[in-house]
Amino acid sequence: MTEASSAATVASATQPQLVIDNVFKQFGEGPGAVIAVDNVSFDVKPGEFVSVIGPSGCGKSTLFNIIGGLLDEYSGNVMIERERIAGPHKAVGMVFQEESTFPWRSVMDNVAFPLELQGVAKSERLDRAAHFIDLVGLKGFEKRMPFELSGGMRQRVSIARTLVSGPQILLMDEPFAALDEQTRLLLGDKITQIQQELHQTTLLITHNLTEAVQLSDRIVVMTYRPGKVKRVVNIDLPRPRTSDVVSSDAFGHYVAEIWADLREEASRGMQDSENMQRGRARRG
Amino acid sequence: MAASGEIRTATMGFRAKPNSMARQTNIIRIAIVLIIAVSWEALSRSGLVFKDVVPSLFSIGAAIGKLLTLPAFYANLQVTAWEIFLSLAIGSSLGIFVGILLGSNRFMSFAYEHYVYYLAPTPRIIFFPVMIMWFGVGIASKIALGALSCFFTVALSTAGGMREIDKVLIRVGKSFRATPMQMGLKIYLPAMRVPVLNGIRLGFGTATVTCLLAETKLSNQGLGYMIMQIYSRFDMPSLYGLLIIVFVVAGIGNLILGKVTGTSA
Repeated sequence: MTEASSAATVASATQPQLVIDNVFKQFGEGPGAVIAVDNVSFDVKPGEFVSVIGPSGCGKSTLFNIIGGLLDEYSGNVMIERERIAGPHKAVGMVFQEESTFPWRSVMDNVAFPLELQGVAKSERLDRAAHFIDLVGLKGFEKRMPFELSGGMRQRVSIARTLVSGPQILLMDEPFAALDEQTRLLLGDKITQIQQELHQTTLLITHNLTEAVQLSDRIVVMTYRPGKVKRVVNIDLPRPRTSDVVSSDAFGHYVAEIWADLREEASRGMQDSENMQRGRARRG
Repeated sequence: MAASGEIRTATMGFRAKPNSMARQTNIIRIAIVLIIAVSWEALSRSGLVFKDVVPSLFSIGAAIGKLLTLPAFYANLQVTAWEIFLSLAIGSSLGIFVGILLGSNRFMSFAYEHYVYYLAPTPRIIFFPVMIMWFGVGIASKIALGALSCFFTVALSTAGGMREIDKVLIRVGKSFRATPMQMGLKIYLPAMRVPVLNGIRLGFGTATVTCLLAETKLSNQGLGYMIMQIYSRFDMPSLYGLLIIVFVVAGIGNLILGKVTGTSA
């Protein structure tokens, strides 16, 4: 490596890779309008694992869609490499909360999908897809169809499909929401391992506290409606981590600390939805 | 999830059924056919009904044998098959086109879909006089009517299929920055495959019914025309024989279409 390029690497290592700058999004107009995301700002450095946590209805998924470039009308800036994004950015790979494998494609063809779009030659496509199928622990299932797999396996197919496109920033929206706790912990291990192997910059949107503390370097805690940044917590747990970390004292401290913030927000959210139910019952 | 469930039933179909159950079903099927055949024959020989109305199975069998040697039968079969094929090709293409418009465009669907729904169940045969005036008494008027009848079926199922596409799959395509062409070929089309192909199969049924019906009304060739000719001679064994042949031919057509489209009945 030449001196100039190593200097550039050092510079880019300290520069944030993804900047969320005063992002604001409102749905609807007038008195019925809902502010989903209210002047949210934070950044993610290269190789860092950041989680955004907040109760349901704090605008997390809206933020996910904005950063992914799927939602264009917002104010503020989402910057990648110091440029405001316009539409889905090639540096960002998204993993969705919903079941998102293509039911008509085998595991192999699902994972190779982004390479197919890029026009990569077939043999190389299959090689690269096979590598990531192995990485998420699905070797031997290449020819299976999604309906033959469990929910956790399908979600791993989605993750492999996104990783194969070589994103600089991995953006995930509650990828384990539909899974049971055990599968969630084990998949978390898989994610940690992948993150360590690839030094993958990752932004995880979640409402699961243990998941966030288990995986993250930093956690952005959001408030319930309107969604603002309440606090940013650095997680100084040793790496490499495994799911064993959940039984450590330090882990417990972090969970308790963030829960204190989160509880207030979550109970406001609950109150709100109960009031809405009551209103509906009265009207009905 | 709904989409994966549909694909599952379509790809697994009957293969998933255990063997013993398939055998049982076959036994019941054969038994029912045998019971009907024996009762028919008994009724025919009992003398309770007019002999010409319920002819013996043997005379029907002989009539089928004779029909299958007639060059005129094959000429008529060819005409009808051609009519159905063209009806299906024209009606389905238009149906898929209109279905995609209705399914993808909220305004179009709001403005026009009611009409498609209201017109879909009307008996198409009432348009036959109009078609005769426009296209003459030859095969063109039957093709037009057949195409009209299968158009509605295909258009409605395509529009429904378009709307039922799992939205997250579209977001996946966009997040990977698929071009509009890639979105169409690699996401919309495969995601809509099952409802569209089912629509075409149902369209085949309605096109067959309509073409044959039109042929019995006013024509100079085709299986429907042949049925009416035999009827006017009051040749009951041949009439029943031809009906059985038509059933079998339509069944085979449906089976082939099912195999080609990969949707099992």
